[in-house]
Amino acid sequence: MRNFKIVFGFELKNQLAKKSVIVTTLLIMLAVFALFNIPRIMNLFDSGKTDNVQQQDTTLTQDVGYVFADQTLEPVVSGALGLTQENLYPSRDSLVQDLQNKKLTVGFVVNSLTNFESVWQDKDLESNQGTRLAEVMKELYTSQKLSEMNVTMDQVAQIQTTQVEQVETVMGKNSSNNVLLAFGLLFVVYIFVLIYGQVTSTIIAREKDSKTMELLITSCKPSALILGKVAASAVAAVVQIAGIALAAFIGFQLNKHLLPPMLTMMLSGTLTRSYILTYIFYSVVGYIMYLFLYAALGSTVSKVEDVNNATGFIQFIFIGGYLAASFAMNMPSSGVAVVTSMIPFTSLMVMPLRSAIVTVPFWQHLVSGSLLLLTTVFLAVLSIKIYSWGTLNYGNKTGFFHAIKMTLKSEKRA
Amino acid sequence: MKLEVKDIRKSFGEREILHGISFEVVSGKAMGFLGRNGAGKSTTIRCLMDVFHQDSGEFLLDGKPFKTGDYRIGYLPEERGMYAKNKVLNQLTYFAMLRGADKASAEKSAMEWIDFFNLGDYAKRPLEHLSKGNQQKIQIAQAFLNDPDILILDEPFSGLDPVNAQVFKNAVADFVKRGKLVIFSSHQMGYVEEVCDDVTLIHDGSILLSGDLDEIKRARGENKLLLEVDAVADEEVIQAIQTAFPGTQGTPYLADKGVILDTHNTATQQQMLTYLAGSNWTIARFGLYEPSLNDIFVSTVGGEKA
Repeated sequence: MRNFKIVFGFELKNQLAKKSVIVTTLLIMLAVFALFNIPRIMNLFDSGKTDNVQQQDTTLTQDVGYVFADQTLEPVVSGALGLTQENLYPSRDSLVQDLQNKKLTVGFVVNSLTNFESVWQDKDLESNQGTRLAEVMKELYTSQKLSEMNVTMDQVAQIQTTQVEQVETVMGKNSSNNVLLAFGLLFVVYIFVLIYGQVTSTIIAREKDSKTMELLITSCKPSALILGKVAASAVAAVVQIAGIALAAFIGFQLNKHLLPPMLTMMLSGTLTRSYILTYIFYSVVGYIMYLFLYAALGSTVSKVEDVNNATGFIQFIFIGGYLAASFAMNMPSSGVAVVTSMIPFTSLMVMPLRSAIVTVPFWQHLVSGSLLLLTTVFLAVLSIKIYSWGTLNYGNKTGFFHAIKMTLKSEKRA
Repeated sequence: MKLEVKDIRKSFGEREILHGISFEVVSGKAMGFLGRNGAGKSTTIRCLMDVFHQDSGEFLLDGKPFKTGDYRIGYLPEERGMYAKNKVLNQLTYFAMLRGADKASAEKSAMEWIDFFNLGDYAKRPLEHLSKGNQQKIQIAQAFLNDPDILILDEPFSGLDPVNAQVFKNAVADFVKRGKLVIFSSHQMGYVEEVCDDVTLIHDGSILLSGDLDEIKRARGENKLLLEVDAVADEEVIQAIQTAFPGTQGTPYLADKGVILDTHNTATQQQMLTYLAGSNWTIARFGLYEPSLNDIFVSTVGGEKA
């Protein structure tokens, strides 16, 4: 236990003191904080933009000419659009002449509130004045007709904005709110297993590569070394996650009144105490299980450059788990989802996701959780044995399953 | 302390590497463990350090089974290396703590040995910033941490220049003087001869020779005499001796270092001394012939099938 603490402290300090870890963590914290501040930043731009539009919206007046076939329409439309004498033309011919002389961008011949002609010399992709005028004239027409029926626009607006009240009773889980956040949290586990798994393998392979391992195993037991290294990787990840979560929390608290209601609903809907406990249990235990596996694989190679090849198959298993989780997101109660939430190598991803979407029977939690714990303990013992066996196995790469076979035969200490 | 290595056998796969080796080491006397490459030195040391488990046989310390965890052991493996990117002081402190020291005494011990090897300026630098020779000294320093009771050094002289080799020899001599149990393997016979009181010679996984170096030398000398005469050719000396003592065998010793005389049943040492006193030769050296460790090694290993 004493040496476990020494190894743990040494490895944790090494991992957290790496410049790459510090810089990456700070950048992610900054990015997460910025993400929660997006609505605030957008509001700043939007408010400025709205004022400008109100002051400078000249889409239907600047370089636009009008001819009114029915002179009674002129005051109505001119008043609505703010037209001046410069915009008014006596005939279609004079309008066309100015278009040809490039004095106008577009000309409109208004026949009635429900009919007009747009005349262009050249029309580009951004030329939307016709659509804008149609919208304005539709409003004028609607207003005119309602006025004839003694109904005001406010009355219409009131009728249209009437809300239908809905009382919703969800007996189990409301997946519409939960699924996205749960999948996001799952992605966090995914990233950290891949990153820190690789880090753990590399640390062990580097000790063999640099021949430090013989000094280590003659100074303390392999069990203290492996457990200390895995615990250090686990805690380093927790420290990083805590930093990122802190940035997210501060960002959320500062901007919650600006955030979309959907996000607030998702957070309050999903982050129940039982969900948090489920997520922590499966993520932490599953994460540690994978670290032991990575540690064992790091022990089978003698050179750092061989780590990627040795750990490749784990990554396939893990990516398979991620795909299973994606499948379970759509069909959380299907046979595949239930089975993959029981298998230890996939349950760390599938079970928290299922728990967020549907009510998982207690017996399934019991079986899945027990299998995950037992597999983690088994892999811990196995990784210590492979580490001991692989200590002086310099030279050729050894396959993982060959290493297990040799370990079972080996009489070296564990 | 007395370490007994008793009938150790070790195989890798179908191949037996150690064929029941036995020898003893006592504290206060450094023991040189000699052998050619692949003779089984490192395998023996790794079995002793519990890196490998022997198939049979046992290691006893003062009559009890030897457990590495029960003693302060300084170990320098043949395949040596440390953390390249960690600071020298930090990693020496780490190794000292793993071997039982608390943080304060671990740092103190680490700093003492860093200073001993004149590397104080490098204490807070990563190991990879040091020259190869200085890295070698740090690796030796890690074996000396925590004032070990037992020192096991596998090829400690490799990579050391003569000045640093002398510094290392002084350190080992001090451990021996303070009654520590010291074993080291080496190819460099000159160094072993200087430092060791006892030697054990292993060849092809079997012990060929083990014991007190002086006694071995005397035994290997077989009461032959070594005579060095100034300004007279070796052949002329041998001829004169053979004339005076018929049947005496004479062979030149090294290049111009005298002649070795086998006077078994032809003359006593006293008769030979009387003869030399009556001659007009200038005698540079006369006495019992003792072979060098190198001679013993070559003659012993050379006599065995390679």
